[in-house]
Amino acid sequence: MKRYDLIVVGAGPSGLSAAIEAAKKGMNVIVFDENAKPGGQLFKQIHKFFGSKEHKAKIRGFKIGEDLLKEAEDAGVQVVLNATVIGLYLDKEITVRIGDEIRHYKGDAIIVATGASENMVTFDGWTLPGVIGAGAAQTMMNLHGVQPGKKVLMLGSGNVGLVVSYQLMQAGCEVAALVDAAPRIGGYGVHAAKLARCGVPFYLSHTIVKAEGEDRVTGVTIAKVDQNWQTVPGSEKYFDADTICLAVGLSPMSQLLKMAGCEMEDNPKKGGQVPLCDKYGETSVKGIFVAGDVSGIEEASSAMIEGRMAGTAAACELGFMNEKERDEKLAALEEALESLRQGMFGPENKGKLLKKTDEGCDISMNLLENGYLGEEEVKQYPGVTKTIGIHPVMECTQNIPCNPCQDACPKNCIKIGENITSLPAVDPDAQCIGCGMCVAACSGQAIFLVNEQFEKDYASVTLPYEFLPLPEKGAEGKALDRSGNEVCRAEVVEIKTSKAFDHTNLLTIKVPVDMAMKARFFRAS
Amino acid sequence: MNTINDRSKILKEFVPANDDDMIICRCEEITKGEIRRAVHDGMFTLTEIRRYLRTGMGLCQGQTCSKLVRGIVARELGVSPAELEPATSRAPMRPTEMRVLGKEVR
Amino acid sequence: MGNRCADVIVIGGGIIGNAAAYYLAKRGCSVIVLEKSDHLGDGGSSRNGGGVRQSGRDKRELPLAMYGIKNLWPTLSEELETDVEYCQDGNLRLGKTEEHMKILSGLAENAQSCGLDVRMISGEEVRDICPYLSDEVIGASWCPTDGHANPMLATLGFYKKARELGVRFITGEEVTAIRKIRGKARQVITKENVYEGENIILAAGLKSREIADTVGVDIPMQPALLECLVTEAEPEMFGQMLGTAEADFYGHQTKHGSFVFGGSSNFEGFNKDNGTPVNSSITASCICRGIMKYFPSLSDAKIVRTWAGWMDLCADKVPVISKMEEVPGLILACGFSGHGFGIAPAVGEQLSEMVVDGSTALDLTALRYDRFQAKI
Repeated sequence: MKRYDLIVVGAGPSGLSAAIEAAKKGMNVIVFDENAKPGGQLFKQIHKFFGSKEHKAKIRGFKIGEDLLKEAEDAGVQVVLNATVIGLYLDKEITVRIGDEIRHYKGDAIIVATGASENMVTFDGWTLPGVIGAGAAQTMMNLHGVQPGKKVLMLGSGNVGLVVSYQLMQAGCEVAALVDAAPRIGGYGVHAAKLARCGVPFYLSHTIVKAEGEDRVTGVTIAKVDQNWQTVPGSEKYFDADTICLAVGLSPMSQLLKMAGCEMEDNPKKGGQVPLCDKYGETSVKGIFVAGDVSGIEEASSAMIEGRMAGTAAACELGFMNEKERDEKLAALEEALESLRQGMFGPENKGKLLKKTDEGCDISMNLLENGYLGEEEVKQYPGVTKTIGIHPVMECTQNIPCNPCQDACPKNCIKIGENITSLPAVDPDAQCIGCGMCVAACSGQAIFLVNEQFEKDYASVTLPYEFLPLPEKGAEGKALDRSGNEVCRAEVVEIKTSKAFDHTNLLTIKVPVDMAMKARFFRAS
Repeated sequence: MNTINDRSKILKEFVPANDDDMIICRCEEITKGEIRRAVHDGMFTLTEIRRYLRTGMGLCQGQTCSKLVRGIVARELGVSPAELEPATSRAPMRPTEMRVLGKEVR
Repeated sequence: MGNRCADVIVIGGGIIGNAAAYYLAKRGCSVIVLEKSDHLGDGGSSRNGGGVRQSGRDKRELPLAMYGIKNLWPTLSEELETDVEYCQDGNLRLGKTEEHMKILSGLAENAQSCGLDVRMISGEEVRDICPYLSDEVIGASWCPTDGHANPMLATLGFYKKARELGVRFITGEEVTAIRKIRGKARQVITKENVYEGENIILAAGLKSREIADTVGVDIPMQPALLECLVTEAEPEMFGQMLGTAEADFYGHQTKHGSFVFGGSSNFEGFNKDNGTPVNSSITASCICRGIMKYFPSLSDAKIVRTWAGWMDLCADKVPVISKMEEVPGLILACGFSGHGFGIAPAVGEQLSEMVVDGSTALDLTALRYDRFQAKI
């Protein structure tokens, strides 16, 4: 039987990272993936990632995927696609379906990096065509270039629901509403704010009661839920929609590990059934490791680090690396992983309602309940200042691990400091030159350039813009406020695109000066 | 992990619900009412529910419904879903034609 | 925890234990069933091919099979208020070579001498009954009164009904020993508790050997792994139970439409284990190859699942169903050797008679515990 030093199941972010680490140490590594394309979820991620430089922050997911594939190729990793691992047996033997055959392989070590699958919820009509998972919508749009529908209602306000809603709009779909039974938005406030200012209404404490339609979805009825998650009679609202997207969480695809006899645990914090494993991903069966979502739902950035850890641990176990080297490597990786897990959304704060940021600012309940910051609230954050001339306004109000804006500014106007979860602050002594690098660098699209002395009685607002078609210079339209309401007429006075902005275009609009701290989006008329 | 479980436990009386005819397992077309009824018939574990009703035994192999079934059973038993161990996973992880499974290459 | 005393303590919540508990409760006995697994019927009862047949059986257990098919199976679904999917469309035991036909004739003659209607039929006759079989099949033994049922539903149906009749089932309760009190088997010791009964029925499959050992009884059994696979639902094709002279597979199409086939790779006595019965990496493929020779049209049917189970293989391949005079109060029902499902209702009923009446309607002498003798 063909035997490899390491077999990796799954060519997503964690699997590829694991394979790269192991192959770099001279291991004979093979990666199997059931899909036609490698990269797992990375190639569906068209948004810029959070984190810091070492986490590949401000790089779009699919680009990270391309880099990872290149790195794997350079390291000599063999990736076999359309290859479904259908069984993991005793003695670390796998069976793989490749074409119309079953092949048997053994690995001295096996890293299972199979990722996750989408959860479903039930409501009247949930089996109608038109009810799809948010991941499915992403696959259709971003891999195949197909619109999942024309008018979509999104259920779930976690990062997946928020990000996919935005992508749906980018793909030209209308997002009728974003609904969640929870009383507060689950994902990053900056992601919610991007939707709200485009006019997407948020219905928190609401749930779907019925998908309307005979043989396909034609509409959705939602209703308010009380504290006991029961629907409140009389609170029903109807929306026309042809698609209902469910973004209600993921479950680890851990079946192979269970089959292999690994000890499992049920851990709601990790999204369901996961194998018990040590810090570096080794399960109760020696030589079988896990990395990425299969060992607990997180996101791609942490999955890549976990993959590197598992690959490193496997390399040492099989004598391809000494313990000293391993420990040094793992310590650095662990630190990188820890920094990603800090902040308001870190595992320790999961489910908690925090009232203050680390800096002592009030956390905006408006943002958590409606998706946008109140006009008065916004002034208290360290990134929001008022100065003469052009200057950045950073509407970044939650402690999340992210700091590209700090490095982006050539004039060092922006300070985050050592702790990457700190809110960005404006350095009053540095002089903004209006280059817009920070606007494009912000993965949350939360930085604006404001100049209240643009013209007499007029201010300019520069905002990130990721929709097509791009308005032309001189275009007239309406400025929308943070809640998506039209507040005034606006004229596009400048459009900046640059390779360095990586597809984030900077739109500068001219608005009456009293609208400088209100206007946050532009809609052409 | 085996846990002592006295099957004579008295459950709350079975009360029909409005959504009892809602399909939960799409592959095998098993409704919420059938699952609830099975719990009252004594099927207290997800494995027993599966063997009794075929939930999660279809083409998707429980990928879609297993969490849903678990929630319904837990509610009916008055326990937390985490207390119910999911059913075993079995090869092949994806449905495989006999002519393929029978064609081994070593 | 409630009362731990009952007229009968049944060790093992498989189909034998559950059926015995049901028939005992029907006769008015109080019963406690102790099952080691978290699930009822988690051993062979949920891991078999579902055959309800008489043909191909050893003469010693044939009366049980014939009695059950005549008297119990036809009405079992109504009795248990559970559709056990009993289907009596006959059993074909298929042969592809003259050698096979010789084996089949021998088995048929055996059964005929017990009064069972089993005939040898030609390849053409086989295809008249089941047109999907390939031309490789040159003949078969045919028993029209055989059939199949759903083992999981039958096992859980007995459980459901027994529970309704007041039988106490406790799962996750692993029995470690039987304890004699004043010369009589009376206590059943588990990891955490002690139960007491006037009678103890030991129906714990392979595990029975270890438990019987605690009162100085040995039943010569050994484990052997059998594996099964199931296809997605297919259009209705045929109702017969199938077996082969070569024993390369057996199975049937279920009411639901899926095909359930069992088989082995020839290493069934030597398979490793990781705590749960685990499939080997080669058997399912081997079973598929076997099936396709007989049913070429099934080659595109998708296998959705495979599973394995340990058989309690008795030295002479028939079970021990017997009172233990040496250990009064103890009744053994184990060593079913991979073909216990079809006779389970009859065995359950006979066990209840053993307890209540002191004797059974059927003569089970040949299945006594003390039958094992040296060859010369």
